[in-house]
Amino acid sequence: MQLQNSSSKPSEDLSKNNLQDENMIVENSPAEAIQSWLVTKLSKQLSLNAKTIDVREPLTRYGLDSIDAVTLVGDLEDWLGCELPSTLLWDYPTIEKSAEYLVKEFDVSAAVSSVASSNVKDASDDKTEKVEASSKSSGWGGLWNRISGS
Amino acid sequence: MHQLKQYWVAEALEKDLGDPTQPESVMSFKSVMELDEREEFPEKDVEWLYNWNLHHYHIPVEYGGELKSYEEFVAFVRVLSRRDLTTSITFSTLFWSGLVWMAGTHEQKQKLAKFIKDKHGAMCLAYSERAHGSDLVASDVQATKVPGGYLLNGEKWPINRATISGISVVLAKTDDSGGARSLSLFVVDKSEIDPAGYSNLPKIKTLGIRGSDMSGIRFDNCFVPEEMRLGQEGAGLELGLKGFHLTRTLCAAFSLGSADTALRTVLKFSLGRKLYGKTVFDIPHPRTTLVDAFLDILVCDCVTIAGARSFHVAPEQSSVSSIFVKYFVPVTVEKLVQNLSVILGARFYLREGHDEGIFQKVVRDNAIISVFDGSTVVNLHALILQLRQMAKYRAKRNAATYEGLRSRLETRFSLEAPLPPCERAKFELFSRGCDDVLQGLEISLEHLYDLKTDSSVDAEVLQKLITLTSAVLEELDAQDEFLASSGFEFGHDQSPELFELAKKYCTLHAAAACVHMWIYNRKVLGDFFAKGEWLAICLNRLLMTFRPSSGIIPSIYIENVAQELLKLDRENKMFSIVPLQLAQAPSPEEKTHAASELQLQA
Repeated sequence: MQLQNSSSKPSEDLSKNNLQDENMIVENSPAEAIQSWLVTKLSKQLSLNAKTIDVREPLTRYGLDSIDAVTLVGDLEDWLGCELPSTLLWDYPTIEKSAEYLVKEFDVSAAVSSVASSNVKDASDDKTEKVEASSKSSGWGGLWNRISGS
Repeated sequence: MHQLKQYWVAEALEKDLGDPTQPESVMSFKSVMELDEREEFPEKDVEWLYNWNLHHYHIPVEYGGELKSYEEFVAFVRVLSRRDLTTSITFSTLFWSGLVWMAGTHEQKQKLAKFIKDKHGAMCLAYSERAHGSDLVASDVQATKVPGGYLLNGEKWPINRATISGISVVLAKTDDSGGARSLSLFVVDKSEIDPAGYSNLPKIKTLGIRGSDMSGIRFDNCFVPEEMRLGQEGAGLELGLKGFHLTRTLCAAFSLGSADTALRTVLKFSLGRKLYGKTVFDIPHPRTTLVDAFLDILVCDCVTIAGARSFHVAPEQSSVSSIFVKYFVPVTVEKLVQNLSVILGARFYLREGHDEGIFQKVVRDNAIISVFDGSTVVNLHALILQLRQMAKYRAKRNAATYEGLRSRLETRFSLEAPLPPCERAKFELFSRGCDDVLQGLEISLEHLYDLKTDSSVDAEVLQKLITLTSAVLEELDAQDEFLASSGFEFGHDQSPELFELAKKYCTLHAAAACVHMWIYNRKVLGDFFAKGEWLAICLNRLLMTFRPSSGIIPSIYIENVAQELLKLDRENKMFSIVPLQLAQAPSPEEKTHAASELQLQA
């Protein structure tokens, strides 16, 4: 099944200088979508303002410890629909590096295109801070008590 | 011998050690108490175990050892632990060879096997530091790269067997920038480094396991060659955590050995002591306490055996299977020991009398197990982080998932089913939402319904099992529902409510493990086990931790458990779902023979 990410933080939230990089993150590129997803996730689950998250800073700087980082890989797997190395965020410890690695090594197109559409859909949603991004969306909340593989 | 082969090693060891209540036995209560009083390292007992070749069971078969299954392993550690946790915990630092079997090069593995076998070698695990206990990433011990190897600097403390062991497995910082890849593991053989480069710290005085070598090790510009590094540079934390998966599960064997002795000692007292014209055992409250302790042991048994077998069947789930065992068993046994102490009254506090005062040693020794290799809080926190994913995965189960679940459950729980070799390389830091035991509960519930047509099963008991198992499932569904609708944040400030939730998950897991164990072994583990009354009571007791008592259990069920407890005690068998024959007190002729044997060995 697809976990639709109800990112209410469009990628414009990423500060400009993060995007002026030799890696050339193109507007709406898969890497940018993943970055956006990670920024949203971290801002929700570490109670941070998304604007303060710099994609080139090590994730530990934001209070994400090693075991949390492993857990976050699980969420990424759910969203992208593929199995990832559990130490992904240990080996690529910034949002920028991990997104770049994912785009290079995995087929992330399906998830990335769905996040783009959900961004549009959810842009008007004003969700409370405490609600976890993916769990309350049509993701697993909607799956509850339904044993199906879709 | 028991019909299950994986228990033969434990039975043979048990027989050769002899009845611990007989002073002349190896590791008798008398001798372990004397050592404890003197705070003396159990050197002779450890040497006896090497001479018995117990160390071979820590080395995988492919490296010339006898380690075939962790179920077998847990069984023999339990046999040691019922006599003396000091020796058991001391000898069992050989656990840590598991890190080398997991991640070592072929040469490192061969070398370690040789060290253990030929030199009767042992190792210690040097992770902890004075300033950092559970926070491994914060380690201060440095390993600075130099040509051909590293310079180690810093101190590890408190470390079990730091002084009396030939190898220290040291976690050290190889990258100053910090983070999860900043640590590396070194298998430091003291005989191959400059003695000027390290020193051991003094023995630490402890409440229990007083004879153990609880000390520390300090490195000062200590050169260690490159080939002593285990795995890649930066793999230290990953390997360290995976190593814990193994040892956390094995720690349950320490607890189960303690539990057996605590129960046996108090039962003996309560059968021998008369009050108000009857034995203590015949007074309802102490009788119930003793029966409850026995039931707790049966539950812990199911959890531990399932955990040990899961390394072979579902190594990818090692991160959660180990938490379920490590959280549940030690705290359950701590409580059980405390409950039993009430029956002894003031005597529980005495360092003499009633089997040499062994109960009081159990109280002190047993108290440290829940802290080993990741404390209760560390384990629950790690589980909290995986709960959401387990709930998600559970909601997504489909026909294909069920097929895999069904087959894994059968191999994991059928004690007669041969286990595949343990593929340690498949251990994972998180289980991707998988937890066969709880996610397969519906499968066992289905089995229960199928048994309605089976005339060998008591219909009344079966109906109760169906009712109780359905209640466990309801609780699980409600818990998942709650998880789905609650927020989540990372960090170290998880709410106390989430810790309670994680505890409840462990309790439900224990209930599910008991149900599976019964389903797959009804015809294997004897009449008492097969009847299932014990299971109904256990499920009811586990549910009672978060539901009011349902009054579903007839008193005759409890009486039947009491009778089984007495029978096992009379026949001198382990209090367990696999009631091994324990060592019998020898006849006078045997005693003479045994004494001359011992002299020969000495």
